[in-house]
Amino acid sequence: MIATTLVTTMAATAWFIDPLVATLAGRVPGILFGLPLVALASLIFAATHHEDPAAIRLAAVHWMVWLGGMLGMVLAAVLLLGWLQ
Amino acid sequence: MRMVVEQQPPRIVAISPDDGSAIDLRNPALAALLSWAVPGLGQIYQGRTTKGSLFMAAILATFVFGLWLGGGKVVYASWADDAPGGGRRPILKLLIQPFVCQAAAGIVSLPALVQSVQLSGPMKQPFVLGGGILPVGFMAPPLVPGQEISRVYADRLVRHDPDVAADDFFDSGPSKQFRRDQLANWHRRLGRFFEIGTLYTMLAGMLNLLVIYDAWAGPFGASEEEQRRRSNPPPPRSSGGRPS
Repeated sequence: MIATTLVTTMAATAWFIDPLVATLAGRVPGILFGLPLVALASLIFAATHHEDPAAIRLAAVHWMVWLGGMLGMVLAAVLLLGWLQ
Repeated sequence: MRMVVEQQPPRIVAISPDDGSAIDLRNPALAALLSWAVPGLGQIYQGRTTKGSLFMAAILATFVFGLWLGGGKVVYASWADDAPGGGRRPILKLLIQPFVCQAAAGIVSLPALVQSVQLSGPMKQPFVLGGGILPVGFMAPPLVPGQEISRVYADRLVRHDPDVAADDFFDSGPSKQFRRDQLANWHRRLGRFFEIGTLYTMLAGMLNLLVIYDAWAGPFGASEEEQRRRSNPPPPRSSGGRPS
């Protein structure tokens, strides 16, 4: 039964959900695909430095702000250089 | 009376940087291996189920999402002659590819090795041909110009891959020889999603290295000196004055 459910889910994903999500994903600016990666890196980094769930959440937010801030500054600098040229 | 004292094997513990409590690492090497095989499984083995579940969900979701973004094409192991770094020994060609990072995500990436070994072996076709639920040549390396593959695989590609036509192959005895560069086809069809998918899968693998270390040695947090200080607190000083 588990195998049947899995196969059915995969078939439904391939035939119905994939084209819909692919269409939506195609309209998302490329840079926004980096945001989940920043969140992931922050979460994993925080979770490997702490043990308590509350401390992990706090550290994850802390790292997200730092990573996002630094990457944002790099992006701003690149955009500024492009605008100046 | 003779007493037999069974010596328990020493427990390997880490110190939590949050509250100083001991974390029983059980068998750290086994935990690290489990965390490589399935991200977070080592932590679950150690009883740290919340962290383990978090790692498992986050890293596997990222890997699968990246694989989906890339149309099932971004995770592959290739040591074909025309692979980047052509002219080097196969193992060196493999080392300069994204697969080195993707392999750190665990057994989810191993089908790429199986597919590649089968394709470059006497069968000349991947273990899983695909074309139904899975894309044709799922996790198989891209074909390079001049590469020989089996007729079955060639027919499957012609039938299911929109970028491959029947005249892309030369007849070469019992097999067929591919004329084009399949990697270029993938880049053309997937566009930016090829790079994005590759990035997601590589990052999932690299972050799993941190998870593996956490399973082996506990949280990074406290330094060894701090850990020593917490596990052996100094004796309290006596507060009494001088005797009269």
